[in-house]
Amino acid sequence: MEQFFFFLFAAGAVISALLVISRRNVMHCALFLVLTFFFVAAIFVLLKAEFLAAVQVLVYAGAIMVLFTFVIFLVHIPRTEKIRQTFRQKNLALALGLLLGLEVAYILYGTMAAPASLPAAAPVGAVGNTESFGVALFTRFLFPFEVVSVLLLAAMIGAIVLAKKEIDR
Amino acid sequence: MEVFLRGYSALGPYVPVFLFIVVAVTFGIVTLFIAKLVRPHRPYPEKLSPYECGVPPLMEARERFFIRFYIIAILFVLFDVEAAFLYPWAVLYGKLGLYGFIEMMIFIGILLVGYFYAWRKGALDWVKEG
Amino acid sequence: MVPLSHYLIVSAALFAIGVAGVLVRRNAIIIFLSIEIMLNAVNLTFVAFSRFLDSLSGQIIVFFVMTVAAAEAAVGLAIIVSIYRNRESVDVDRVNLLKG
Repeated sequence: MEQFFFFLFAAGAVISALLVISRRNVMHCALFLVLTFFFVAAIFVLLKAEFLAAVQVLVYAGAIMVLFTFVIFLVHIPRTEKIRQTFRQKNLALALGLLLGLEVAYILYGTMAAPASLPAAAPVGAVGNTESFGVALFTRFLFPFEVVSVLLLAAMIGAIVLAKKEIDR
Repeated sequence: MEVFLRGYSALGPYVPVFLFIVVAVTFGIVTLFIAKLVRPHRPYPEKLSPYECGVPPLMEARERFFIRFYIIAILFVLFDVEAAFLYPWAVLYGKLGLYGFIEMMIFIGILLVGYFYAWRKGALDWVKEG
Repeated sequence: MVPLSHYLIVSAALFAIGVAGVLVRRNAIIIFLSIEIMLNAVNLTFVAFSRFLDSLSGQIIVFFVMTVAAAEAAVGLAIIVSIYRNRESVDVDRVNLLKG
């Protein structure tokens, strides 16, 4: 049962990711990326990370892709579809990408023989996922949590400075 | 349903969600397909225009987007992430007590600096004054 | 129970697809989309390890990665927009000078 769903979601994620990098129309690419995010969120659910699955849909598929769509509207004019979409070294690049994928898969596969099975009574899913997640976030990871707010502040100021120039023009 | 749940109980709560998605997607595809089979197909230019009984379109619909929408979208993304951080905090509020409250106030306080910066810079003004 | 190696292979495949996208495409927006695929592949690895090593730290790091992705998208797309305003193009082949 779980096997079936895993293969369904994994195949969906990989196929839609392939479509993201192969479609001509930028808007289609962005929409297939949303589909990839949904499949990855489904795999997160299989891994008992329900909270992250929700955040994945909210933040990635909801917010970040909205931003991408805005930029595509801002930037995309029909004639950009006509120009050549790929570099000359396309085949070399594809071969290198494939090689890298095989390498990473080989290394990961080789090193991960050890913890093949799950220890009994996993505390990861013991209480609600969100609750145990929150406890860890607000106690052990308190400092990174506060630093994240500084990161968001920096991003906000940077983006406003960059975009403000365009508004004033 | 019971057969579905027997093999794997941990995913049990998600079976309705999955069925919902499957039914929704199938409904959309099947409806479009049946409509394509049944409907007559007799196009003429008037019918193909975007608004059959309205003003003729003046220019291409893919006009460049107004950049002011974009800055709002940026602020939305960053505050959306903040909201995602608020969620586990809200779930745990009873347990964390005053300590958690102060933590979150520091977090929100730092982000408010960005909010006031955007405000002062006029990023939130829809029309520039003067 | 799906073994850990299956999850890792999926994430390796996604990561390689992201790398291929960055190398092959010339449109800066699609390069950005490919970077998001790579971030997602790494997130998947973190969550898989967090499940199989039975520790929540992996999931929390994924949450931080998502935050960084949001910040990166905001600033990166602002840069793309201003490049587009200057050059009328988002083709990375034509953005090879650091001066405006």
